Amino acid sequence: MTGDYRRFALTRAAQAIVVVLLAYVFTFLIISVLPGDAITNTLRDPQHGLSEEDIQRIVAFYGLDQPVVIQLLLSLGRFLTGELGFSLQSNLPVSQLVGDALPSTLTLATTALVIAIVFAGAIAYGAQYLPGKWAAIVRSIPSFFLSVPNFVIGLVLIEFFAFRLHSFTTTDPNSPVATLFAAITLAIPVSAPLAEVLIASLDHESRQEYAVVARSRGLTEARLFAKHLVKPAALPSVAMVALIVGELLGGSVITETIFGRDGIGTVVQKAVTGEDQPVLQAVVSLSAVVFVAVNLVADLASPLLDPRVKIRETKLKEKVGA
Amino acid sequence: MSADLLTVEGLSIAYGPTGVVHDVSFSVAKGESLALIGESGSGKSTIAKAVLRLLPHGEATAAGRVALNGRDILALPEKQFRPLRGRQLGFIPQDPASALNPVRTIGAQAQEAAALLGETDPSVRRGRILDVLEQVGLPDPVRVYDSYPHQLSGGMLQRVLIALTVLPRPSLIVADEPTSALDVTVQKLILDMLTELRRDLDISLLLITHDLAIAAERADSLVVLKDGAVQESGPSRDVFAAPRTDYARSLQADVPALHPDRYRDQRTAFQPARDGDYRTGHVSSPSARLQIDVRDVTKRFSAGGMDVLACDGVSFSVERGRTHALVGESGSGKTTAVRLLLGLEQPDGGQIAVAGQSTSGRSRAEVRDIRRHLQLVYQNPFTSLDPTWRVSRIIREPLDQFGVGTKPERAQRVREALEAVGLPSDVASRRPAHLSGGQRQRVAIARALVVRPDVVVLDEPTSALDVSVQAGILELLSKLQRELDLTYLFVSHDLALVRQVADTVSVLRKGQVVEDGAVEDIFSRPQHPYTRALLDSIPLATPAAALGEVATEAKQLAKATA
Repeated sequence: MTGDYRRFALTRAAQAIVVVLLAYVFTFLIISVLPGDAITNTLRDPQHGLSEEDIQRIVAFYGLDQPVVIQLLLSLGRFLTGELGFSLQSNLPVSQLVGDALPSTLTLATTALVIAIVFAGAIAYGAQYLPGKWAAIVRSIPSFFLSVPNFVIGLVLIEFFAFRLHSFTTTDPNSPVATLFAAITLAIPVSAPLAEVLIASLDHESRQEYAVVARSRGLTEARLFAKHLVKPAALPSVAMVALIVGELLGGSVITETIFGRDGIGTVVQKAVTGEDQPVLQAVVSLSAVVFVAVNLVADLASPLLDPRVKIRETKLKEKVGA
Repeated sequence: MSADLLTVEGLSIAYGPTGVVHDVSFSVAKGESLALIGESGSGKSTIAKAVLRLLPHGEATAAGRVALNGRDILALPEKQFRPLRGRQLGFIPQDPASALNPVRTIGAQAQEAAALLGETDPSVRRGRILDVLEQVGLPDPVRVYDSYPHQLSGGMLQRVLIALTVLPRPSLIVADEPTSALDVTVQKLILDMLTELRRDLDISLLLITHDLAIAAERADSLVVLKDGAVQESGPSRDVFAAPRTDYARSLQADVPALHPDRYRDQRTAFQPARDGDYRTGHVSSPSARLQIDVRDVTKRFSAGGMDVLACDGVSFSVERGRTHALVGESGSGKTTAVRLLLGLEQPDGGQIAVAGQSTSGRSRAEVRDIRRHLQLVYQNPFTSLDPTWRVSRIIREPLDQFGVGTKPERAQRVREALEAVGLPSDVASRRPAHLSGGQRQRVAIARALVVRPDVVVLDEPTSALDVSVQAGILELLSKLQRELDLTYLFVSHDLALVRQVADTVSVLRKGQVVEDGAVEDIFSRPQHPYTRALLDSIPLATPAAALGEVATEAKQLAKATA
């Protein structure tokens, strides 16, 4: 089995790399077909005050006088060596811009992910074990969460907790409490699909014959839940969590704006308005890397978590039955 | 009646406003076995669940009295009932493949059962578990202990479940169709083992089954249920030999093992006198009469680096208007043989001819045309019909696909097909969900007939159906064969059924034909030990001495097969 698993892991990792490269190429092509020559427009902007030599240097660096294919190859080559180029707006290295913004966003996204999982788990448990009427109410929470836009939740939380209760101040958006509320804002809509999946698979598992048989062995509902139902019900949500990471990356732009945090969201926002091609390219590629990496981990984990996924093994043959 | 372990009095169960069980009473004495018999919808499983208090919360309401050792368990609060679970009341479920948690090892789940013994030391518990696994005939208990359910076969899983059930030494076991998901030879072994364990450990049994033959063979007394009400009850031999009610009589009449010649008249009426010297493989009958001729077909699959010979030189042939049966258990290669014949798989070697035309070396279109004369009726009518289509469209599909006739002609053909299978014309506008199992299988047969094929492949056509429905379908198939001069290839694991419907038979095992010939010869003089094992596994009501006429008939059959 280990040999099989290694082969499986290597194949998946190779596929992941291909996906990242394709995402890079795709982003590059999208940006290059955008109307207007973004780079030269920015460079020629008198506000930048770049000298002719500077411009020549930058043009040569990006191969801007070359055909798109050459530009792509140059850019891809630099990407593979970890060189992300320079921002056209600030002349700072892109790696520095992104590196400065990344910790803040990572803190926010990770906290949000944890909160989302906790929310989803609590909702799913409640939907399963609360008495009738309450369970029905709990079951409707995910659709409520989904239907309220992210920014409304954020504004309500700020209004109530920052301005009324003074739990945190908007002037210090990176304080732990402020981060917590920002993360809750981000987590609420994201927890909804996860909760739906958990509710559905708990419903499914608790109706399975094995749950009935386990009950016939005298297990209490709590033990049945903890020992039998949690694991199989959680398996489908592992893939869901991986997808949620994508949502968190996208959602962070809005949340960071509302809470006044500096992060990747802010970087993206500036890069888009300023047509800052190298920054855009870097951020999109970085998101692709994170997204693909998380999904890769989910893929690689599922055979370890679920024995049924293990690559085919020879069945113990029944020696008795003729 | 203090000797009664379980007493059920006036039990009625309803799901919401719909009553499914009405005023049912019976009792099981200590050490005795009682079988609840009925078809789907008879409420037999619901009664079992009520006895075990496993009815879904809030959905089902039970009234009446279910007493275990004199205590009314319906009235007990859950806290007081829980200690009885497993320790007093064991449960063996129907489908072993779904009755164990797929993501936990057998050992982890067995520990739960062992915990009921009150033993706290896990290693002692483990020893007890390994002992009981060995007791139920599992050859390598340690390996089983560490396995996940998907790594074991169905028969092994059912042994595991029985082991877990008897481990805490309950006084009553409720077994809900414990063998209906298993191969016939395994079925017999499991039932034998259960009978033995019961005797050794002095456990009472409440057996839920649809199979009257199994019930009569394994239970001391019977309760026949229909639509949630008791039709008849009493000692097995009485109910079985001399059923008093019409329903019990018809159930008895529908057991294939007891009435091998049931469809004989209908079928032989149109057939020329059977030539006694028929032998598959070396017949001299004109090949023009051969509708299907499969010669030495081989098919290899590779699974997990291992090559499996699904078909290893399989040969069989079927004459026009006759029925040939392919018999075998799971893994015997019968399904592969059918898939090869239907062109769903390509053989690695060998020849397949349909109506004298070889299918090898022909273009796709030509083969497709040959296949048109070959239609398939699937095993499970509950899954083989598209639930979103109306019946008329389901039946019309092959016509649309082959581009047969104009639109009104197709509609006419659909009407004719419906009429031929004995369905009212208003069924055409319904969807499968609104049809019963028997009606669905009739729709599936109509779909096969609508292109007017010469050959119909029947893949376990009645195994998902109740016996009484099964009889109706088999009657229909016999009638259609006579009227339309159809050739049938009948795939089944049920030898008793094969005896009723087939003229010739091939017994398959592990991809090879171990024996073939006329049905009478195979049944009266089986040559191969595997064929004998298959015949032995047909449940027969042999224990009772005075079963009357039916039993004599059954016994003759038993003798013939011994």
